[in-house]
Formats: sequence, C-alpha cells, structure tokens
Amino acid sequence: MNTLRVGLIGAGGISHVHAIGWRDLGAAVTVYSHDGAPALAARYGFEVVSDLDALFASADLVDIVTSSRSHRELALAAIAAGKHVICEKPLAATSAEAREIAAAAQRAGVRVFPAHVVRYFPEYAALKSAVDAGRIGQPAVLRFVRGGEAPRAGSWFFDENAGGGIVLDQMIHDLDQALWLAGDVTQVYAVQSPPSVDGIVPDVVTAHVVLTHRDGAISHVQGTWGARGTTFRTSADIAGTSGVLSVDSGIDTAVTMDVPSIGETDGYLPPPAHAESPYTTQLRELAGAAIDGSTPRVTAEDGIRAVALAEAAGESIRTGRAVDVDLDAAIRKEDLATENVSVTA
Amino acid sequence: MTNLDPTRATDARKLKVAVLSFAHHHAIGYCRLLGARDDIELAASDPDGSTAGDAALRGADLARSLGVRYFPTYEDALAWGPDAVIVTAENSRHRGLVELAAAAGAHILCEKPLATTVDDAAAMVGAAADADVTLMTAYPVRFSSSFQDALARVRAGQLGDIVGIKGTNNGKVPRDRAWFTDPALSGGGALVDHVVHCADLLDDLLGASPISVRAVSNRILHSGSGVSVETGGLVTAVYPGGVVATIDCSWSVPENAATWGGLTLQITGTRGNITVAPFAQHVKGYDQAGPVWIGVGDDLDAAMLDEFLDAVRSGRRAQPDGEVGLRTFRIVDAAQRSVLTGQPVTL
Repeated sequence: MNTLRVGLIGAGGISHVHAIGWRDLGAAVTVYSHDGAPALAARYGFEVVSDLDALFASADLVDIVTSSRSHRELALAAIAAGKHVICEKPLAATSAEAREIAAAAQRAGVRVFPAHVVRYFPEYAALKSAVDAGRIGQPAVLRFVRGGEAPRAGSWFFDENAGGGIVLDQMIHDLDQALWLAGDVTQVYAVQSPPSVDGIVPDVVTAHVVLTHRDGAISHVQGTWGARGTTFRTSADIAGTSGVLSVDSGIDTAVTMDVPSIGETDGYLPPPAHAESPYTTQLRELAGAAIDGSTPRVTAEDGIRAVALAEAAGESIRTGRAVDVDLDAAIRKEDLATENVSVTA
Repeated sequence: MTNLDPTRATDARKLKVAVLSFAHHHAIGYCRLLGARDDIELAASDPDGSTAGDAALRGADLARSLGVRYFPTYEDALAWGPDAVIVTAENSRHRGLVELAAAAGAHILCEKPLATTVDDAAAMVGAAADADVTLMTAYPVRFSSSFQDALARVRAGQLGDIVGIKGTNNGKVPRDRAWFTDPALSGGGALVDHVVHCADLLDDLLGASPISVRAVSNRILHSGSGVSVETGGLVTAVYPGGVVATIDCSWSVPENAATWGGLTLQITGTRGNITVAPFAQHVKGYDQAGPVWIGVGDDLDAAMLDEFLDAVRSGRRAQPDGEVGLRTFRIVDAAQRSVLTGQPVTL
C-alpha cells in the first residue's frame, strides 16, 4: 500500500493530537501554517511548505486544524485542488458555509469529513452501540455535560463572529452526540450566562441547550468554559424506556494516583498507553473512507446539521425564544451551491 | 438544639401531632420518626384511604401497623386538639386540609408540592397567616449537610459569581400509590413531583425567583403501562441577573434499579463549581436479587421534622415556609404553561 500523503493546515493547539495520529498511522505529512509550522514539523518529523499550492501538490488528503472562520476558504481551496478534506469541528463558521463546502466536494468528487471526535471516544461509541442495539429501549431523556478551563483569554474562541463562542466551538460536540444518539431535532431552546457582548463571549461562561427530537425525546446539553485550572469533565446520561446508561469522565478513571513525592523520583517513564487516541482512531477511519469510498460514522451532512443546530441555539440565546429547526432543509438548501469560489491563500 | 435531647423531652409538655392522610407514602416515614420520639404524642387520620385506587395499606390498618392512634375522620383528629398537623394527602387535597387545620389553630407541615394551583397555594399561605399558625413546606433536601456546605461556600464567595446551575431529581415512577399519576389528584406528573425540590434549593441559593421559565416534557417512559401524565421533563429558568438553571425532573430511574433515585445540584461560578448529591452516599454490593444500595446519608426527614417541631415549640416561623412552597410552585405552574406552547413564560 502506498504511503498516505497528508497536508496539515494549521499548527495550533489541536494540531498536536492530529499530528500524533498521522505519525502513528505512518502518513507522510506536510505542514502549512501562518505560525508554528517549523516547530510542529520538527517535533513529529513532518515537512514544511510555504504555501497552499505546495501543500496540495504534496498531499492526497488535507487536514484542516485552523480557526473556524478560515475553514470555508481553506476547504474550498483543497477541494478545488481535488483533495479529500478532514476538517476540525465546526465544519464551518455558519451552516451556509458548511453547505457550500459539502456541495463543492460533491461536485469535485472528493470527500469532506468534519472531525466530531467524540464519536470516536470509546465510551461514547459504546453508548451509541448499546442504544442502537436497543439495550435501553427508546431514548426519552438525555443529558450531556462538558466543561473545563476556558480557552486562552482574548483568543478567537471567544469571538462568535469568527466561528467561536461556547455553543459553536465546545457544545457542538454534544449537540452532535444528541443528534447521533436520539435523532433529528425539531426545536431548540438555549440560554447563556453571562450573555455575550457584541459577539464576544465572557471569560467564564455557561450555556444550556434543550433539544426536542423528532421522535419525542428531549435532551439537555450543558457547556461550561470555567475558571482557570478547572478540571475538564464530560458526562452523558441517557434514559430509555427499558433502562439507563451513563458515562462520566470524572468517575470512570482507570488510574487513581496519590504520590506526593512523585517529583522527587526519577528513572521511570510511563509506557505508551495501550489504548489508541480517539483522534487517531478518527483519522484512520476518515482517511480510510476517503481512500476506499466507504461511509464513516460521521459525514459532511452531520457537520452541517451540527452547525445548523448551534446556529439555532445561538438564535434562541439572542431572542429568548424557542426556535423551530428543520435540519433536513439545512442540508438541502442549494442557495449557495453556485456561489463563486474564490481562494486567497 | 434538638428535640431528641432527653432533658428537653421530660421538661416540656408533649406536643400533639396529627398526621392527616396516608395518601403520600412519606407519611409512613414521618409516623415512624415521630413515633420513636418521647416528646411527641402522635395520632393519624386517613378517611380517604378506603377509596384509593391501589392496594397500598391505608387507614386504620396502616395506623395499627405503625402503632399510631387513629381517628376515623379529620374532624375527630382536629377535635383531639393537636398542636401541629402534617398534611400528607393527595396534592390537590392539601388546600382543604391546610385550611381545616389552620382554622383549628394547628401549625402545619404540608407535603410537597404545596398545592396543584397557584390560587390554592396562595390561599393556603393566607389561611395560615390569618390563623397565625406556621405553615412549613416539606422540602427535606435543603437540610442535607452537602447542600448546606455548598450554600455556605457560595455565600462566602468561594465560587465567585454564580452563572449557572443544573439540578437533577430523577426517580422511579411512583406506582405504589395510584393518585400520583392521576392528574386530578396529583396536578400532573414528573413536572409536579420532581421540580420543586431543586426549585427549593435554587430559591435558597439564589434568594430570588426566576424571571422566565421554559419547559419541555414527554411521555415516552412508561408509555406502555397506562401512565397518563408526563414522565420526562426539562425545566429551564432564568433568574434576575441572568443566572441560568435547568432541572431534569424525569421519572427516569428504572423499576429494577437498586435505589429509588436521587438528586444532584451542580453549581457553576466564575471561580469554580460544586456538585452536591445528598443521596449519593451509600454502601454498594450485590446480593442474590442483584445490585445492593444501602443509603447512608443524613436523615433529612428527621432534620426537617426537628426544624418544624422546634418552630412549633418556640413559636417562630418554620423554614422552608409556605411562601417558599408558593414561590416554587409558581415555577411548576409556569413550566406546565410553557409546555403547552414550547415557549418561555415570563413571571
């Protein structure tokens, strides 16, 4: 089998888990980034290129790990160059842009996959398998919690006009989980505290999103960007007609350690974890699907739906009203499919 | 100060307490706790027990099994001259008994929810005020040491500014008593049964009532077993200053679970978060029937009865009072109205 050639765009925080994944999968990786490409390449043994054309020339698949607002332009450029695309979530800053990317890929005959990595976390994948197998009957009430330390103050993550904000950036993981586990959504109600000011999210913020699913289930999704040093924690609770299932990252830990003198002892390096990183599992499945045409567990349509749902939550937060949504229509819309594609890399 | 103090029990006249109705199974626990105290003279009346649509032991038979003096009618029980009554009737029958007891000059501990309509709850608060008796709402969870600790930390500013709260109060569908799922007697399903406990904690914690309430509910759980009220519900409230709170009130604990359910409250502030779970402490294991859960937390009912009886003896107002019961029921009422439209209700 030929070595997979990957063009990695971006060298920020999330790039490392992608880099580890590609390295472990034996891919030949070329990196392009405004900032940090040489250090990332040196650390993981990748090549650096100085422009997108060079990147596209050296890649079969492009992996976009940049800020959300740049996804559209970069994805359209990669697609225009005939490359498959894996793109960090959200697929784009707006559902219209996400739709535009998906439509362009379809026309170009390449694949686009949003990196909704929670679908690849073993405990969430196990929840999905158990629900699909009918172990708890029909899901009725679902709860999702995701919280930890807020991103670096002043970064684009706080800017709702740059594809940031807690709902679109962080809670989209669990909005996608709710869609995955309980199906299509018809109504969204959301609140956020404190409110954003001029599209800028406060440093510490929490939001609650309540979803009404087409089949009648109801979901509560809670996201928090908390105080500095807050432990990252996620949980999911699903109540169905014949049982309940739950996961909690704060409780289900395989190792509990209390070694006060740990800093004083040397000579031991922990072995590599046996379990594969969910990011690596994700990249293997998505790259494999791009190559062999199979359908992975997350598709471009899922990416559009998740962004459309986040948009509806944002509208609800702004208006104080519950918002009806039609996610099928969000995918079908053709209004942007013919828009002129311009690339200024 | 505790009424279990033996010197106090001998010094003070025994308080006469009448339990009015055995409709709510909590009445059994109250009778056991009060019956074990030597500062209480206990009696009960349960005239509606014979017409309940279930097989639960009621009336004189239940009173006998609990070793409690029994009166065939409420009038007889009140003529006995109780200092205090505990109203554990079906929700929609609370008002009549509270008004009867207030007119008889008895202090009142009323099971939650206080009533099934805002008008009834307000009338009950008014009746108690007019008769100058204390009206307490049976919200035992706020007496838990875990909640009291969280409350003290919040008030000391350890969490910074509160931005959001998530409460869960999930349990099994209450099957042993048929009225719980008969809206004429219960006022509704999970929204009525399980919103108020968390709402009481929010009331205590935030010192305010919400400015808007939005709720969704469904009837998927237990839909095949003839339950005609909502079994799942999510209630989102916005408080003055913008604090957001959601309560999951669903009857989502499976029938074969090892414990009845529980309650959690996750409080998120600008400096950190606290989650309390007053019913989480337990001994776990397995026996021949499956998982074992032996709860070992605080006896919240005992603490609540201590507060009530101490207030009765000392002539002060018991907390949480009827006003709290009214304020928290307004959230239930708003949630029920919101469910009809899907839109938030402004309070």
